[in-house]
Amino acid sequence: MIRLDRVSKSFGSVEALQDVSLTVAAGEFVAIVGASGCGKSTLLRLVAGLVPTTAGRVVLGGTAVTEPRADTAMVFQAATLLPWADVLRNVTFPLRLMRKAKGKMLGDTEARARALLATAGLAGFEHRLPRELSGGMQQRVAICRALLQDPRVLLMDEPFGALDALTREEMSLELLRIWQGREMAVVFVTHSIPEAVLLADRVVVMSPRPGRIAEIIEVGLPRPRSFEQEGSPAFQRAAQRIRALIYGGRVAHAA
Amino acid sequence: MRPSIRGALPSLIAVVALFAIWEGACRGFGIRPFILPMPSLIAAETWGAWPVVLNHTLATFGTVMWGFAASVLISLPLAMLIASSPAISAAIYPLLVITQSIPKVALAPILIVALGANELPRIIVTFLVAFFPLVVGTVAGLLATPPELIELGRACRAGKLQELLRIRLPFAVPFVFGGLKVAAALAVVGAVVAEFVGADAGLGYLIQTSMAFFRTPLAFGAVVLLAAMGIVLFQAVSIAERVLFPWSSGADRPVA
Repeated sequence: MIRLDRVSKSFGSVEALQDVSLTVAAGEFVAIVGASGCGKSTLLRLVAGLVPTTAGRVVLGGTAVTEPRADTAMVFQAATLLPWADVLRNVTFPLRLMRKAKGKMLGDTEARARALLATAGLAGFEHRLPRELSGGMQQRVAICRALLQDPRVLLMDEPFGALDALTREEMSLELLRIWQGREMAVVFVTHSIPEAVLLADRVVVMSPRPGRIAEIIEVGLPRPRSFEQEGSPAFQRAAQRIRALIYGGRVAHAA
Repeated sequence: MRPSIRGALPSLIAVVALFAIWEGACRGFGIRPFILPMPSLIAAETWGAWPVVLNHTLATFGTVMWGFAASVLISLPLAMLIASSPAISAAIYPLLVITQSIPKVALAPILIVALGANELPRIIVTFLVAFFPLVVGTVAGLLATPPELIELGRACRAGKLQELLRIRLPFAVPFVFGGLKVAAALAVVGAVVAEFVGADAGLGYLIQTSMAFFRTPLAFGAVVLLAAMGIVLFQAVSIAERVLFPWSSGADRPVA
């Protein structure tokens, strides 16, 4: 579905990504972890077509990515909602912007949006303004907005990074539930190792300056996932391995 | 008592107290009316000359509204142009700053000679006084759009024009209204400046002619009317903002 072919990206003299190759299958859930400045977000923006590669290429569904595409959707760390639009209009905004929802189709889109908001626990909030919602609810709206585009690729840049720990756990499981019903590849950038292991089929561990793939870990936990699995040996092994890669073994001996 | 009235009560008391002290001081110290007239005399004199005063008020109001309208019509496109590219911004901004550093009183007689003794030079002076904060506010708003919002637009394949109309401009609305409020108040100042220099009607003209005959109370009455005009315009802009863009003007709906 997604193929990065020896991709490098520089901003001026700063090399953000160096020689990154990665393949994500259709419907696969891939998490990307790494220290700050390892180019995780840049990688996501390359796949989104928001920034061009310096070398190498990004191929999505058989065609090279040169600009943002209609079949990819992105969720940012901040909910990035339009402050002047109510929840329903925020969710339908991308489709209205791409002129896929107008005239007769608008009613149809709004019906789908309402159904999606209901599954995200936001029924009854359709006509609230973003500032009237909590942080978690705002981020749910942002995720609904991305899902309404029915993307084949969902790119998430630390989507739960600004949320409190409890909301974060709740949202992770919700995301898995939504993802399981769809044929949608997810690339999920996060700082949280447990979050990456809990969610992903594979975890891409990146090393900083310049950003490279250090290792790709197969998680291999059965689905559906739950927090009970955090105690399992397979979970611990994966998390330990990722930690060792990121900290270079320092933390393992710190205690 | 309704909450809105209770909220206005402190300012009402302050204004009434100020006028009371003023009145008392004038009477108590025997200040002569042509130096500092007392409020009751100002009211009486203004009321006595009312039809004339009303005509002058309407003349000034016309100039203010035309100047204000010109400010809006010119400032908004200008701000969009400035915000659209750093090069255009670098080219236009110094010119704008120059227009702001020229004293408008100095410009008014030149404009009157060039354009004739009619309404146009007064409107231009009003515009020159009022438009700058509107441009600055709008540009600030257009550029203050969060980068994530711009990125969202790009991810949704929005073009430059769509980005401006559907994201940047709505985002700038609170900033635009901030500029509009200042411009509304300044438009009154601009109109009076223009009338001081060359006019045969208007409150600025009334102040000058009144003072020429030491009719200080009438001049004060004109000043009060100008202040009232500024307040009314400011409030009108605030109300328009609340009605048209309820999301723009702070938290007026409680969080559920």
